[in-house]
Amino acid sequence: MALTDILFALINGAATGSAVFLVAAGLTLIFGILKILNFAHGAFFMIGAYVAYSIIGSNPSSLHVFIAAAFAAAAAVAALGFVADRLVLRRLRHVDEAYMLIATFAVLLVCTGVVKLIWGVNYASINPPPLLDGAVTAGSLFVPSYSLFVIAAGLFVFLGLELVIHRTWIGKLLQAVASDSWMSGVLGINVPAALTVTVIASFALAGLAGGLLLANQTLSPILGESYLLLAFMAVIIGGLGNVRGAFIASLLLGTIESGSSLVIPNMPGMATYIFVILFLLAKPQGLIGGRHI
Amino acid sequence: MMALRLGAILFGAALFLALPTVSDQGIVFLAGLVVIEAIFALSWNLLFGFTGLASFGHAAFFAIGAYLTGYGLKAGLGVPFLGLIAASGLLGALVAALTGLVLLRRTTGIHLAIFTLALAEVLRIVIGYSTLLGREDGLASIPKPTLELGFATIPLTSGTAYYYFMCVAGLVIGAVLWVVCHGPYGRLLVSIRQDPQRVAFLGVNVGRKRLQAFILSGAVAAIAGALYAPWAQIVTPESAHWIHSTQPMLASLLGGAHSFWGPVVGTVLFSIINYLTRNLVGLSELVIGATLLIIVLAAPSGVIGLVRTAQQRWSRRRKSGAGPDGDEGGSVRS
Amino acid sequence: MTAILSVEGVDKSYGTHHILKSVSLTVEDGETFAVIGPNGAGKTTLFKVMTGEIGFERGRIVYDGRDVSRAPAHERARLGMGRTFQVARIFPDVTVADNLTVAVEARRRSRGESAPAWYRVATRADIRAEVEARLLDVGLADKAAVEAKFLSHGDKKRLEFGIALAGRPRILMLDEPTAGMSPTDRIATADLIARLRAETGLTVVMTEHDMDVIFGLADRILVMNYGEIIAVGSIEEVRANPLVREVYLGQEIYHAER
Repeated sequence: MALTDILFALINGAATGSAVFLVAAGLTLIFGILKILNFAHGAFFMIGAYVAYSIIGSNPSSLHVFIAAAFAAAAAVAALGFVADRLVLRRLRHVDEAYMLIATFAVLLVCTGVVKLIWGVNYASINPPPLLDGAVTAGSLFVPSYSLFVIAAGLFVFLGLELVIHRTWIGKLLQAVASDSWMSGVLGINVPAALTVTVIASFALAGLAGGLLLANQTLSPILGESYLLLAFMAVIIGGLGNVRGAFIASLLLGTIESGSSLVIPNMPGMATYIFVILFLLAKPQGLIGGRHI
Repeated sequence: MMALRLGAILFGAALFLALPTVSDQGIVFLAGLVVIEAIFALSWNLLFGFTGLASFGHAAFFAIGAYLTGYGLKAGLGVPFLGLIAASGLLGALVAALTGLVLLRRTTGIHLAIFTLALAEVLRIVIGYSTLLGREDGLASIPKPTLELGFATIPLTSGTAYYYFMCVAGLVIGAVLWVVCHGPYGRLLVSIRQDPQRVAFLGVNVGRKRLQAFILSGAVAAIAGALYAPWAQIVTPESAHWIHSTQPMLASLLGGAHSFWGPVVGTVLFSIINYLTRNLVGLSELVIGATLLIIVLAAPSGVIGLVRTAQQRWSRRRKSGAGPDGDEGGSVRS
Repeated sequence: MTAILSVEGVDKSYGTHHILKSVSLTVEDGETFAVIGPNGAGKTTLFKVMTGEIGFERGRIVYDGRDVSRAPAHERARLGMGRTFQVARIFPDVTVADNLTVAVEARRRSRGESAPAWYRVATRADIRAEVEARLLDVGLADKAAVEAKFLSHGDKKRLEFGIALAGRPRILMLDEPTAGMSPTDRIATADLIARLRAETGLTVVMTEHDMDVIFGLADRILVMNYGEIIAVGSIEEVRANPLVREVYLGQEIYHAER
C-alpha cells in the first residue's frame, strides 16, 4: 500500500466525513433542543437536493449558481421545517421515545411519497459546477476538487455553528434551553420561540446539505436513507445533541469508511458498523456526554 | 365483546382459507405475504408492545430464517422441511441470545434501536459478500418443499398447497404467541414494559426476562423468514435491510401495539393500502405515512384501540352511565 | 431482639455532591424504624441505597446476616425486602387485580412456591384468592376491575402498598407512605400499617413527613441532616435531643413546606 493510497484515503475520508457532518449537524441540533431523533431529516436532505436540482439542472453553469441553489434549497426546506414543526414535531414532545422515532419515520415516508409523486423515480445525476469539475494533482496524488469543496463546506458549517452556539446570545439561550427547558421557561426565556428557531435552523441545514452534496451522486428517492444512517451513527457516537462531538465523530466515521475500503473493498460500511457497535458498548454516552449542544 | 372478537378472528381466518378458490394467483401471493409479515410483526410486537423494547434491526432474524431454509431447500440437503423451519427458529433464537446478552445488559430506548439497526446492517453486508448465499443477487429459484410427517407425505409444491400450509402455520404460531402473551408470562412482560424497576422490586430478574422475550421474538421472526423463502422462491439481502425492519413497526403501530392482534390488523391494512395505491408511484408511501402520523398523534392505541374506544362508549351509553364497565385487561390485552 | 438490617459506614456521592456521609444504622427485627429529616437531608438516597435501587461507594449493607451491598434489587426482594416509592409506582395500563396478580405470581415463582405455568391463561383459583385477600387488606376490593391509571392518588398509594405486601416481605420499606394523602386516608394508612405489623410481625422502615403518623407508628426514629445522622433513639430521646431541636425548631421545615 503506497503512501499516496493512504493520503488519498485520508482526504477521501475527510470528504465523506464532512458530507456526513453536513447531514448530522441539523440532526444533532434538533436532538439537543427537542430531544427528538428525527428520521425525517434524511427526507428533508433529499428534498433539498431535489429543489437545488430543479433550479440548476444536471449541469450547473457556475460555482455561484451552485451555491446559490444550495441556499435556496436551505430556505425552501426551512419553510417546510416550519410546517413540520407546527404539524408534527411540536406534538411529539411528550410522546414516548419509540413513538417519536416512528412518527418521524412516518414523516420520512410522506416526504418520500411526495418526492416520488413530484419528481418520479428515475435517477438523475448532476455534474459539479465548472470550477469543481477537475482535480488537484500533487505528484501522484489525485484529489477531485469537489471533495475539497465538500471538506471546506463541512468546516464552514461547523465553524459557523460553533460561533453561533458559543459566541452569541442566541447560542447561549439555546444552550440554556437544551440543558433545562423548564428552568429556562421559569427564567423568562421564550422557550417555544427558541424551539422554533432551532427546528428551522436544523431543517435549513438539511436543505443546505442536500444542495451542497448534490453533485457526483445519483439523485433518487432513496438518497435520504443513504446518508441518514451514517449521520445517525455520527450523532450517537458524538454524544446526542452535541455539535462538536458530531463533527469529530463524522470525520472518524468517514475515515474508517474510506480507510476500510482499502482493506476490505467488498464490504462497504462493514467496518463502520462494527466500530459503532464496539464504541457504544464501551462508551454508551458518546464521545462528549452531558447536556451541551 | 368476546363473541365479537372471536367472530372477527374466525371471519378473518375463513376469508384467508377461502381466498384461493375465489381470486387469482396474484392476490393469493399477496395474502401469503400478509400471513408471513403478520407473523413477523407479531414477533416484533412481543418485544415492543409487551416487553417495551424497540428493535430496529428485526429484519436480521427474518433474513437468518429465510436464508437458512432457502439454502437448505435449494442445496437439497435432504433435511425435512419442518426440520429446516425448526433449525431456522433455533438459529434465530441463538443469534438473539448472543446479541441480547451483550446488548440488553445496559441498553434500552434509542441505543438499543441503533445497536440492533447496526447489527442488522452488518448481517446484510456479510450476506451480500457471501458467495455461498449468492451475494447481492441472493438465492433464486428456491423449490417449494414436500411435507414429511412420518405417517404421511404431503407435497407442497403447488402454490395453493403451500398457501394452506402457511395458513395453518400462521394459526399455530399465532395461537402459541397468544397463550404466551395472555398467561402469567405475558402478564409479567406487560408489567416490565410499564415499569421495569417496579418489577425488579417484585423479585424478578428483569434483564433475564427481557432476554427471554428477545430470544422468543428472534426465533419467531426467523420462522417467518423460513416460511417466506419457498413462497417467494427468492431471498435477497434486501430482506435484512433496515427498511424491512420498519415493516413490523409500522404494522404494529397502525393496528395497535398494545393489543395482541394489532400487528395482524396493521399488516392487513398495509397490504390493502399498498394494493389500492399500486398504480401511482409514491402514493402508497404518502398514504401510509400520513395514516401512521395520524395514528401516533391522535390515536396512539392504533386501529384496534379506536374500535375498542368506540365500543366502550357504545356499551356505556347502553348501560346509561353505570360505573366502569367490566372490560378486564382494557388497553393491554385482548 | 436481633438486627435484621444494618447499614455500615455507607458513603454515596453524586458527582461532587456528598449525599451520604458514613451513615450507619441498625434495624431490629420486628420494629418500626422511621427516618426523618429536612428535605435534602439524604433520606431518599439512604432509602435507595438500602433497597438496592442505586449503588454506593464505601461501606456495606447487611440483611439477615448476609452482605447484600452488591446484590441487585431483585435479589434483595427475593430475600424478603419489600418497598414502596415516594410517588406510587403501579402498572397503570392493567386492572387493579392484575397489578396484584403479577406481584403474587412473581413472589411465588421467585421463592419456589407453587406458581402457574406459562400456558395457564385463566388465573388460578388459589392465586385469585390470594389477590382478593390483598385487595381486602388495602380496601380496594370494589375497584378490582378498574384500570389502575384511573385510581385516585390515595388509591394508587394503597394499591402499591398491596403490591409490596403481595411479596410477603419480612421487612417493608416505605418511602413516605402517606405523602399527598388526605387526612382521612392518612389515618387509614397508618392503621393499616399498624394492623399488618401486629398480624405478621413485619419489620417496617419508613421515611415520612407527617409527624402524627411517625409518632403513632415508630418504635425508634433516626434523624438525618446534610447526609449525616444527628440522632437515633426512641421518640422521647429524639424529642429531647438538643441538636434535633435546633435543626427542626430553627428551620420549622415541616410547616414551611406544607
